[in-house]
Amino acid sequence: MVNGIVFDIREFSVHDGPGIRTTVFLKGCPLACRWCHNPESQSARPQVVTSPAGPRLAGTVYTPEELAGILNRQAAILKDNEGGITFSGGEPLTQAAFIARVIDLLDGLHVVIDTCGYGSEASFRLLLARADLVYYDLKLIDPALHRSFTGRSNRLILHNLRVMSECRTPFVIRVPLIPGVTDTDENLSAIAQLVSGLPGLIRVDLLPYNPAAGAKYAAIGRKFDPGYDEARPVNANLAVFQAAGVDARLT
Amino acid sequence: MDERLQRLKERVREGYYRQSRQTTGIDLLAECEREQLTWMQRSARLTRRQCEAERVVIEPDERIVFTRTLLEVPPIYSPEQEARLFSGRTMHELGPVNNICADWGMVLSQGLLRRREIAQESRARHAGDPEAAAFLDGAVETIDAVLGLAARYAAAARELGRADIAALLDQVPAGPARTFHEALQSLRILQAVVWLSGSYHVGLGRIDQYLEGYLRADLEAGRLNLASAEDLLAEFFISLNKDSDLYPGVQQGDNGQTITLGGVKPDGSPAVNELTRMALRISRDLAMIDPKVNLRISGDTGLDLLSLGAELTRKGLGFPQYSNDDVVIPGLAAHGYNLEDARDYVVAACWEFIIPGRGMEVVNIGAVSFPAAVDGALRAGPAAGDTFDGILSRVREGIAAQVNHLAGEYERLLLPPAPYYSILMDGCLEEGRDLSRGARYNNFGVHGSGSANAADALAAVRQFVFEERSLPLADLLEALDANFAGSEELRCRLADAGPKVGNDDERADSLLRWLFAAFADACEAYGRTGKGGILRPGTGSAMYYIWLAQGHPGMREPVVEATAEGRRKGEPLAANLAPSQGIRVQGPISVLQSFAKLDYRRICNGGPITLELSDSVFRDAEDIRKVAMLVRTFARLGCQQLQLNALNLEALLDARAYPERHKNLIVRVWGWSGYFCELSPEYQDQIIRRHMFQLA
Repeated sequence: MVNGIVFDIREFSVHDGPGIRTTVFLKGCPLACRWCHNPESQSARPQVVTSPAGPRLAGTVYTPEELAGILNRQAAILKDNEGGITFSGGEPLTQAAFIARVIDLLDGLHVVIDTCGYGSEASFRLLLARADLVYYDLKLIDPALHRSFTGRSNRLILHNLRVMSECRTPFVIRVPLIPGVTDTDENLSAIAQLVSGLPGLIRVDLLPYNPAAGAKYAAIGRKFDPGYDEARPVNANLAVFQAAGVDARLT
Repeated sequence: MDERLQRLKERVREGYYRQSRQTTGIDLLAECEREQLTWMQRSARLTRRQCEAERVVIEPDERIVFTRTLLEVPPIYSPEQEARLFSGRTMHELGPVNNICADWGMVLSQGLLRRREIAQESRARHAGDPEAAAFLDGAVETIDAVLGLAARYAAAARELGRADIAALLDQVPAGPARTFHEALQSLRILQAVVWLSGSYHVGLGRIDQYLEGYLRADLEAGRLNLASAEDLLAEFFISLNKDSDLYPGVQQGDNGQTITLGGVKPDGSPAVNELTRMALRISRDLAMIDPKVNLRISGDTGLDLLSLGAELTRKGLGFPQYSNDDVVIPGLAAHGYNLEDARDYVVAACWEFIIPGRGMEVVNIGAVSFPAAVDGALRAGPAAGDTFDGILSRVREGIAAQVNHLAGEYERLLLPPAPYYSILMDGCLEEGRDLSRGARYNNFGVHGSGSANAADALAAVRQFVFEERSLPLADLLEALDANFAGSEELRCRLADAGPKVGNDDERADSLLRWLFAAFADACEAYGRTGKGGILRPGTGSAMYYIWLAQGHPGMREPVVEATAEGRRKGEPLAANLAPSQGIRVQGPISVLQSFAKLDYRRICNGGPITLELSDSVFRDAEDIRKVAMLVRTFARLGCQQLQLNALNLEALLDARAYPERHKNLIVRVWGWSGYFCELSPEYQDQIIRRHMFQLA
């Protein structure tokens, strides 16, 4: 039996999928994006977060039965309101077996997987088979830049994108617009070319950079060192997506 | 909103109307003494002289007139005389009748001249009853005063070449309103005179019900279209903000100028109409603090109406406040309200359910402090050497003692005569009885305050003292006495480790339910009051979430110091129905599930679940719809009342540092909204803490 580690469960998470949803934030992520606004999600171990509201331990270990039990208590309400459960992170793929078991125990709830796509194909297929919708992050298409800004190669991510499309699981591509990094015309065009016409694609969401990204680093005793100019306005170039026939929007 | 309305709104916000105000008020005392007037006569004379002293203000672009120019309501007795009058008696708040709702629809449709006829017919019938005769004479005097005021406005309008205004005032408030415009103009003057007469928290009730007939007739006859009708209603709403800084209240903005929209009609059929939606739209577009909007809903209310409500919530005004008809109406019926009256309920100044025209209820005679009852029970514990059940039985006794004490004080309640307000109510004129002597419903309401704190404290005691036996009761009491000095670790354990209300955790929620059941038992056991009514237990806190923790001059309730849920001395209690401050909860659904467990049939005085959402939740139409679904969930779970706030933490922090930049920042405080920068610092800090917690 595999247990999971979760750093937060947030009800009424309005921006994580349709209807009224509860989002489970899994702890631990293979990437280390320079702009990560949830630094406490990166380590797969519990850690103390200190905020003006006082210290709190982030990271609770659950059995699949425990977590499913918590989520099922509100199943009727979530179903009544066109919603369900979103698994986000951190990175759900790193705990795929745990999440798959939790989903199997859910009371018929709509499931969204919010993933960076970095993980083994086998892990990803475990979740694809159980997800109603995937929010799939694409950050940088250039392999070197990807490695430089996230700490990892994007090979698995691009591979899993094709796997997802072949499975016909509906998906939304999410692109964080990081000033001077991901928001270049080259990168956005490359993303548009890559996803254009992919079966299962619903749309592309461009997520404008949040200048509060560094807000939580001090709370876990880390320094925020983005390596790009936070103040620079982002290039929300929707036109390259239109040109490629892709429905894209700024959210 | 067109340019004219923008201008009207800006004038109010800039304080433009203050230049019309008279620097000296009227002196009534000498006259009252010289003529040796009775209390009733003085009350009527007050209304008359105030109306006579009002100066006419008609701005060129106004279509609904009346601007208050008198700063104050003058005394009709000297302080010494007042002290003698109230010797051995209980004065409610500032004294005058307040926080009720008139039968505005009745007065608008009858007109003051018809009310005058009814008074005179009744006077003839009551010729042998000096008290009734004196009241009816007083009532007629006040009617004549209002007619005189309206006539002076009409004459001035004519002189200014405003035949339109003069024509309105020739018809109303003397005669029945015939059009939507006349009804709004009549209502403006009739309500303003209540304030001028010294009453306060003057609610406007179900405007979408009693004004709808006028609107429909105008639309059908082509006298108005939707746009021109909205224009009039918007002007009326703006006018309610002109004088609100002159209204008495604990904090500015706490003025009880509420409206109640939606719900069902007295026959039980749906009451939502075009005016319901229009009022919500206008309130959203104006974004002003008056009138404060209450929306009656049920589990079946459509998402379109709830989305309109959510759009208003997004404005950050702290309203609409939602009341669930599915729960409120049966609750009122279970407390002796006739079903048709229960279906006609409105919300008073904060959240209390009252019946327009038929209630002379004092809905806030005070608060029961649940935390003080728990504290007292714990302190008797070591000596009693008892069990958790022993503690609970003493909590029950403590709650009953507080209820009996408050109700006992109000057995000596003395309400001043209210001849003018009486003409706006049902039956006062007909029966020759002043409103202060009672109406159909004469119940008293008691707030049940600090409920989540008390339930959390009991849950912590049960777990740590009795189940785990990890904390001797004597050690706990010592730590409380020391305000947790030197025992911060214990305080954190109490605050973080135990079960908490707001997480759908039965270990805490069962105690919350038990506290309110004990409260309801105590109110029922008290039986009938001397006023012939009952005690209505409620779930609100009003300002008591601060007062019960910090004390306040003249309050009747006990103050509690540090408490067993880990709250330090002086820290505020939870406001209304909300998790204890600083408690981390999973989110709004769990909070609703916790509070859905209360038996609201037994606690019908009102008091909202208070939820705060960051304004970042409301991005687009889809988000608005989700907020609407959250409100529908509140109703479907069987909760009673909901106050939903949209807050932006950055704005609040910046407003505290630079108040001059944020003059328009409005926040919900407890049962009301006010300008953040006009609140005292402890309220500002409390709101900021609530919000910080939510984002952490």
